[in-house]
Amino acid sequence: MSRYATPKLGAYVLLTALGLLGALIFARPELALIALPFAVALAVGLSHARQPDVRVHLEFDSERVLEEDEVALELELDARDSASRLELLVEIPRGLELVDGRNPVALRLERGEERRLDLRLLCRRWGAYRLGDVHLRARDAGGLLAWEQTLDRAAPLRVYPRPEQLRELVTPRETQLFTGNRVSRQKGEGLEFADLRPFAAGDRIRRINWRASARRGDFWVNEFHAERNADVILFLDSFADARRGGTGTLDQAIRAAASVSERYVVDKDRVGLVNFGGVLNWLRPGTGMVQRYRIVDALLNTEITLSYAWKEIDVLPRGTLPPKALVLALTPLLDDRTVSALLDLRARGFDLVVIEVSPLPFAEPPPGRSGELAFRLWKLRREGRRSEYERAGAQVVEWHDGTPLTAILEGVSASRRHARVRV
Amino acid sequence: MYGTLEADRVAVLVLALGAGSVVLLVCGLAAPSPPAVVGSFVGVAASWSVSAWTRGSGAPGGTILAAVGIFVAAELAYWSLEQVSVVDEPELLARRAAGLAIRAAAALALVAFALAALDLRTGGGLLLEAVGAAAAVALLALVLLLARAGHENPER
Repeated sequence: MSRYATPKLGAYVLLTALGLLGALIFARPELALIALPFAVALAVGLSHARQPDVRVHLEFDSERVLEEDEVALELELDARDSASRLELLVEIPRGLELVDGRNPVALRLERGEERRLDLRLLCRRWGAYRLGDVHLRARDAGGLLAWEQTLDRAAPLRVYPRPEQLRELVTPRETQLFTGNRVSRQKGEGLEFADLRPFAAGDRIRRINWRASARRGDFWVNEFHAERNADVILFLDSFADARRGGTGTLDQAIRAAASVSERYVVDKDRVGLVNFGGVLNWLRPGTGMVQRYRIVDALLNTEITLSYAWKEIDVLPRGTLPPKALVLALTPLLDDRTVSALLDLRARGFDLVVIEVSPLPFAEPPPGRSGELAFRLWKLRREGRRSEYERAGAQVVEWHDGTPLTAILEGVSASRRHARVRV
Repeated sequence: MYGTLEADRVAVLVLALGAGSVVLLVCGLAAPSPPAVVGSFVGVAASWSVSAWTRGSGAPGGTILAAVGIFVAAELAYWSLEQVSVVDEPELLARRAAGLAIRAAAALALVAFALAALDLRTGGGLLLEAVGAAAAVALLALVLLLARAGHENPER
């Protein structure tokens, strides 16, 4: 702990000195008498001042919570030596909000006393938090000396985005080899009727379609569509973010990615993540709860990093983008590198759906006629980009802040079904 | 105000000094500014001393009240300055209030005792004046040391 003199000590010393000097110079005992209580307070206070010894332990009741959940922060104070007045401040990072408890707090601790303080924090925004420093400031009984210490008791807290209820997901066009919940085009073991074929040696009796067999005079068996899983790659554009107030396109995209990945994992699909931005991150496709947590943890660490380096899809390692995977891109379509990379993916034959997280609610036309004209030109350019994707055979859907994600996904699914019928 | 009423002459000067000090104290607490608070107490002490000087006699009885009043006001002022950063818990508040009451009572007893002692030894003498001068010089040295320490840690 670092020790320093409080303003009170300086003031008392000054008052005492001036009082005594004044008494001597002007030969007035009143001044010495006025200075006397200050002098005695100094002498007694300084002789009894001792450095306090307080240990602080800090812990969350849960290390993983959802957005808008409350979390309790427990502070355990163990006073090895008494503290007449201990001020304690816990630095609370942005995104967390104190809803119950006092911070900072001033208290008195007797020697050997253990005290528990509870703070309740509301997790306003998703993120991977490390609770900041704990600042301690202790004063002696007279308030003449103070000791300060900053403790690094960084307690980790992961706040996950609250998943949105999704009624429907975008169905991948192609399925993979492993068993899952998706009806494959291939025939095999499943529940969905596919076709009839003549009986062959080795076929199960229960598969015989008796009605068809009676009509045709020979044994015919039912064939079914196999139930397989699919590969889904979430492509998150973190090159640019349009923000206003406490929200922005990246927040929206991350929330959507968390919700969508959770649902695909529940449906036994393999889900991967490509974070395409100034810093490139990826997660190879996988299934199960572990993969779900891996994805959400990777999403929590997503941030915009300024970079001028031109990046193409080739920078991603092989295996990150498995063949026949559905690529679900979440992008504000603000950066040419992402636009180009997605077009490249489509050219390589990936099933691409672009969910355009619209930056329009976060943008305002600049003042003046030229500003308005520039804004219109910018919107036109965005229209042009969408047309480019559509010409390439990728579906683009615009998602405005406030529209439920499930409505967007249902729209995409309906459109894909319609497109399939038309083909 | 008490000093003004008690003053035989230059009551306006005493009143001006006292009123200026009170204004400075209010500003110092509102700002908050510890140097302004110190200045205000120096002003109050000066006001009382001028008032006492106009009466001529050494250490009038009202000095007890003035000394204790200034001391308690200083304690309260610095207490309120501490509350600007962090407010005390109710338990701590009660303990500190009790502590202040004890300090005020001790100051009262101390000044009364000192006043009685001074009355017994009017005039002091060479030895007493030498001790007083040494104490004042030592205190001034302490002030300088504290000022230097404060200069080395400007973030305080």
